[in-house]
Amino acid sequence: MRTLVQFIGIVRKDIVIEFRAKDLLYLTAFFSFLLIVIFSFAFLSDPAKAIDYGPGIIWVTVLFSAILGLNRLLEREKENSCLWALLLSPVSPSTVFVAKVASHMIFTLLVEVMAIPMVFVFFDLRLENPAIFVAGLLLGTLGISLIGTIFATMLINARLKEVLLPLVTFPLLVPVLVAGVKITALTIGAPIAEEPASWLRFLLGFDMVFGAVTLALFGRMVRS
Amino acid sequence: MKPSRARYVFSLQMALAIFAFVLTVLALYWVFLVAPNEAILGISQKIFYFHVSSAMNMMLLYALCGLLSILYLALPNNKVAAMVDMLALASAEVGAMFGAIVLTSGPLWAKKAWGTWWTWEPRLTLSLLVFFLFFAYLALRLFAGQERFGRSVASGLAVVGLPGLYFIHVAVERWGGAHPQVVFKGGLTHPEMRTAFFLSVLATSALAALLVALRFSLARLERETDILYLELDSRFPSR
Repeated sequence: MRTLVQFIGIVRKDIVIEFRAKDLLYLTAFFSFLLIVIFSFAFLSDPAKAIDYGPGIIWVTVLFSAILGLNRLLEREKENSCLWALLLSPVSPSTVFVAKVASHMIFTLLVEVMAIPMVFVFFDLRLENPAIFVAGLLLGTLGISLIGTIFATMLINARLKEVLLPLVTFPLLVPVLVAGVKITALTIGAPIAEEPASWLRFLLGFDMVFGAVTLALFGRMVRS
Repeated sequence: MKPSRARYVFSLQMALAIFAFVLTVLALYWVFLVAPNEAILGISQKIFYFHVSSAMNMMLLYALCGLLSILYLALPNNKVAAMVDMLALASAEVGAMFGAIVLTSGPLWAKKAWGTWWTWEPRLTLSLLVFFLFFAYLALRLFAGQERFGRSVASGLAVVGLPGLYFIHVAVERWGGAHPQVVFKGGLTHPEMRTAFFLSVLATSALAALLVALRFSLARLERETDILYLELDSRFPSR
């Protein structure tokens, strides 16, 4: 019970700060718009091929904006060593970690809500199976948040964290990207003979395994 | 380290070096002079012996690095933990080297066997990602800030990479989907080829063990030097 209160407290704090400052969300969302526009210049000569590129564009945008947001989100905790204060407070490190994952996930989902419709508008895609699409997005974002948050928190004071974070997280997030692109492609009617359910299960497994691993690791890692 | 112990370690390393050398010469002899040339690929098939044995060692060293990192994170901060960590670093560095060998010999083989330098064949893709993980690990060791902190982050990466590799493996296997795949499934039919392969795996593993051992003692020396410097500073602060 107390853990839940603490968890809600930390998440609320993050949301309130964001709600008052408003800089992060809008800037990251705008960054994703720009990415989408750049992609359309880079890839789209034949509108008929949008169905091939669309899913990839969605997921690369999600991945980039999530990692960008992660850096900024933790930059706030760096000021006045807030993160260490948080970890020194009588809250277990796992609660802090789960709360941080939740904040980042909420934040990234908000950016996605603003950015992804743009892909559908610009590339004239039709969503055939919204439920599976959303499920894929939720599970994928959770995976990104889990892997991203643990390393971003650890690298908060590193000199080169903007470079190191993608270097560390992208190889580990390859499965999320592959599964996400497959699920999205299937929900916009790409002609692939595969079941979205099996990819959703794969993502769920990914989230569960890494949820357990990162939760177990976080406490050990911050000890130093 | 005490001088007697250092001599003992040195002679062990020497023995390992001689063992690796003999095995390597034997493997080279078998690969190039005893084993017959493959009918279609000719001499370029010999890449296989080095490529596959390097790949096996790379995977093994990643597993070793991951397991040692779990141990490091589980242990309290003491001398044993420091040793475990140094061993993990040594296996990561040697593993990254084998990764580089795999990724140069792989395309050479692919060009001859499949006509392209690179295919997104699952095993090749997996090797590439293992190499990336090693690279990220070593980058974290170098740039992730204060000593102990950087070690923790890097160990965390090595640990997360263990299930990570499983998921990457499954994802890239299924990623290909309906695309046609070119997979080498020849198998080694000729007995001499099998002996040559067996010998090269053995030789490469001995080499890997030797390199890890040497890198580990280097890390120990570095640590001892650091401690001596600290002691010197504390005794003569205005040096």
